[in-house]
Amino acid sequence: MIDQRRLAILAESAKYDVSCSSSGSRRQNKANGLGNACFGGICHSFTQDGRCISLLKILLSNDCCYDCAYCNNRRSNPIPRATAEPEEICDVVINFYKRNYIEGLFLSSAVVNSPNYTMERLYETVKLLRYKYNFNGYIHLKGIPSADKLLIERAGFLVDRMSFNIELPSENSLKLLAPQKNKNAIIEPMKMLSYDKFYAEPTSPTRRKNFLPAGQTTQMIVGASPESDAHILKLSEYLYKNYKLKRVYYSNYTPTNFNTSLLPFEQAPLIREHRLYQADWLIRFYGFTASEITGNDGFLSHEVDPKCAWALKNLHLFPVEVNTAPAEVLLRVPGMGVKSVYRILSARKTTKLDFDDLKRLRVVMKRAVHFITCKGKFLGCKEEKNICFLLGDAPITQKVFQPSLFDVGYVPSPALSALNGEL
Amino acid sequence: MKIMLIDNSIEGLLSALYISFTEKIFPDLVQDKKFYQPQIGSVSIDVPTVISDSNRVKTALYKYGGCDIICHIKICIKSCDSKALSTAFFYAHKTLQLRKDISENLGEKCVSDFSFTVQKVLHERHILTGFLRFFESENGVLYSAFSPDNDVTELLAPHFLRRLGKIPFIIHDVKRGIVCISDGKNLSIEVTDKKAQFTASEREKEINLLWRKYYKNINIKERKNLRQQDNFIPRRYKKFAFETWE
Repeated sequence: MIDQRRLAILAESAKYDVSCSSSGSRRQNKANGLGNACFGGICHSFTQDGRCISLLKILLSNDCCYDCAYCNNRRSNPIPRATAEPEEICDVVINFYKRNYIEGLFLSSAVVNSPNYTMERLYETVKLLRYKYNFNGYIHLKGIPSADKLLIERAGFLVDRMSFNIELPSENSLKLLAPQKNKNAIIEPMKMLSYDKFYAEPTSPTRRKNFLPAGQTTQMIVGASPESDAHILKLSEYLYKNYKLKRVYYSNYTPTNFNTSLLPFEQAPLIREHRLYQADWLIRFYGFTASEITGNDGFLSHEVDPKCAWALKNLHLFPVEVNTAPAEVLLRVPGMGVKSVYRILSARKTTKLDFDDLKRLRVVMKRAVHFITCKGKFLGCKEEKNICFLLGDAPITQKVFQPSLFDVGYVPSPALSALNGEL
Repeated sequence: MKIMLIDNSIEGLLSALYISFTEKIFPDLVQDKKFYQPQIGSVSIDVPTVISDSNRVKTALYKYGGCDIICHIKICIKSCDSKALSTAFFYAHKTLQLRKDISENLGEKCVSDFSFTVQKVLHERHILTGFLRFFESENGVLYSAFSPDNDVTELLAPHFLRRLGKIPFIIHDVKRGIVCISDGKNLSIEVTDKKAQFTASEREKEINLLWRKYYKNINIKERKNLRQQDNFIPRRYKKFAFETWE
């Protein structure tokens, strides 16, 4: 069994990988096997940073031969190094899984010796888990760019999900901050996996089903390079459309390297990452395009969420009548999600809905009320300024001044004077 | 106010529906006999559980309400909500009255109440599939204690039976004294007031420590957000998720 020191080092090195989802696969348990996968995914715990623990997120080794400026595991960073054997990883996965601590394994590695050597070790670990330990739980494998295609393809049949990190949103930033990596080495395997999964003629009926049942994802760092939100979202849109990615993860840059002027010394605001996720969701499930959501300066508003910001820009399209509007219009109303729109569509088949009904159907009325009418009635604000004030997520920066009884030189407002009788 | 008193089972509820239709009684509330406290001005109707009557209602419900309706009613009556029996009763009554599947008519109060009660129970079941923690005994049996809000032990157990394969396990709802035992093939559910005695082996302690170490190190300190953590893992579940203990 792996010792505590090495487990701590390898977990610490893996923590900046964002993806921890265990969804998308329906893998069943086999006779004498252990584990299965739940299609919706299951969260097993939550850390103090609010992120879920679903998979055992660990590196096989953090002894990297690359020197990417933004990475915590870069060769020039004097951190403790550790390497685990495939058997040790399998042992800890089985023991944690049996006790219901985890849903499966998220396995990645720093590039040790060469991409092919590293990928081989990763493949060996996954193979051991599936064949020797009969493990049928969820496995997410991080692919190593520039590794042999055959290795990547073979691994694709054993794991549920695979991902190649795109790292940075543009080729220029990648050249500058990760000179040993190149765009093609990352994009090519993604292209190959999507071709194998969706377009290649299957040689057997189960081949397509068994190959990456939960698809592929990617991750990029936000705030380490100067690209705008519009640029990032357009790239994500392209990846979703052309490579049929399940998800793009955004990782807010956390400074780990203070020896270079190429990187910011401060962490980017977390709200940017949050807004990017919201915008990403709108692209995937609500029928928005990247160019619709971002502002004129190419960035998302930090004050209001992207859907609200879009609605405020297009107030001439609102209010919409809940009882007659089509689904694609209702999906664009702030405060209405996919589930609530589905409920509205079912409910309005039999009855005309009013505001109380919407509340019962769990529509967020605080937001939706300004953009809808029910049976012709409108209860919201009409002015953009007021709506913006009511829906803003940003904390109020101006504190209300509370004068004490003995404050000298304090001139009360006429309204206050009228109230306390001074006027 | 008319209150129907039944035993807290699907058969009891279906018998009440049978009485309601045959004797043309529409109650304002349906309650469990065990927890009934007489109220001023209320009239209670004690409904005996009759299997043949409940079977007739069951057939009618399958016919008009679709194949999932009985399953959903079973889930609904597992809710900790004191009105869960009434919610299930009114929904089933409406289905039989209209003689059609009303699950999509969410504009109706009885339908939306029923739907959200079922969702609430299923949501707790789902999150507990993650938050349950097993301890391995010396002889290889896995034991887990928990105290859910709703009575979800019966709903949870098949998930672990599928997942753990031949490994025997015990799930113990300490709040209700319900124990679910699996021998690796079959499940059995028992009610007991006995306390489980479990001594962790050295290996078990080592694995627990390893898990706690992992939990501590996977956290990004620069992004500390305890409020979000509390939102996702409520305090009542932290009692059994030992890695979160300080």
